[in-house]
Amino acid sequence: MSDDRLTQLLRQADRTAGLPTRVRVDVSGIRRRANRRRVMQMVGPVATAAVLMIALGIWSITQRIPQMTPEQKQIASLEMQVRQLQARTDAAISLIQEVLEQERRQKRLDELEAELAGIPDPLDEMQEQVDKTAFILVYQADRLYRELNQTDSAVEAYNRVIRLFPKNQWAQVARERLEEIENKKSNQTDSKGDLKWKRQNV
Amino acid sequence: MAETINDERLVGQFNRGDTSAFDRIVERYAADVAALANRLLGWPGDVEDITQEVFLSAFLGLNRFRCDCTLRSWLFTITINKCRSYRHRRKLRRLKATTIPINEVGTRLSPSQKGQSLLEAETFMRVRKTVAKLPAKYREPVVLRYLQELPTDEIARILKVSRNTVHVRLSRARESLRQELTELIE
Repeated sequence: MSDDRLTQLLRQADRTAGLPTRVRVDVSGIRRRANRRRVMQMVGPVATAAVLMIALGIWSITQRIPQMTPEQKQIASLEMQVRQLQARTDAAISLIQEVLEQERRQKRLDELEAELAGIPDPLDEMQEQVDKTAFILVYQADRLYRELNQTDSAVEAYNRVIRLFPKNQWAQVARERLEEIENKKSNQTDSKGDLKWKRQNV
Repeated sequence: MAETINDERLVGQFNRGDTSAFDRIVERYAADVAALANRLLGWPGDVEDITQEVFLSAFLGLNRFRCDCTLRSWLFTITINKCRSYRHRRKLRRLKATTIPINEVGTRLSPSQKGQSLLEAETFMRVRKTVAKLPAKYREPVVLRYLQELPTDEIARILKVSRNTVHVRLSRARESLRQELTELIE
């Protein structure tokens, strides 16, 4: 019931509002506008194609390689050869410079090695000094023993050499001297005993 | 049926280059298109621009019309789309359009209204306002069903939705109208 009433109400409201005024369709205007739109629709792609063609033309002109005469070709070939030769020369010069630099470095290295070889070994020098000192000490001890007849001082000096330089050759000499002194002392003691015994027997 | 055949023949003539066929199409459907546009836009009265736009689109697209629906349905589909665009543009631009804003719907007195009582005029104006306030998806089926008196199938074809959707939208639109117009209906 209410649906029918609603439908009725809507239709009455529509009727009372009336029909639209001035319903006049300008067909010629529609044709003009339609033609204009069609033209615009055609113009768009055509314009795009034209722009593309122009761009392509410009590109092909800029990219085109100009035709060369035989002389120009020969010059271009020679120029190319010169450039190649120059490149090779540059490479050779660079190689030579590198070799020379290598040689210079090697020479400097040899010089430094020679200088190093000329420098004496500090260990050898020290050993030499030790030998010299030991010799001097033994020499002084010999003088005390043989020339000045100071046996006790000489024994002390020989012992010092043995104590300070036990492995040196002069320590061995000092040991021999001490042995000699010992032998001498024992011989003297024996000879004194024999003399005393002879005197008592006489 | 005869009208459908004639429509097909007119479309065929137009597609073969006979532009006078379009004049006959305009003569036949201009009033219907204008009435629909008038109702969809809230009864502004002046819908000449929209009608012109509809027939311009029809002129440009008639060669794509395949006669799988009636020419009237096809024109109504265009009309609905144009009205949607028109309302959308009006909403976006916030311009004072040539049509009457929703809050002024039906304030003009048409010749047929002049003989009515003030109470009746007020009542019907309120009904039109209520319809105009409905969202587009409910207003369009209401206009097509109750005012254009189209069957559900044709409405579904015009709006490009299913029959069920049309029923649901009509049901919701009726509910909304009932709530707004309770005292007028009961």
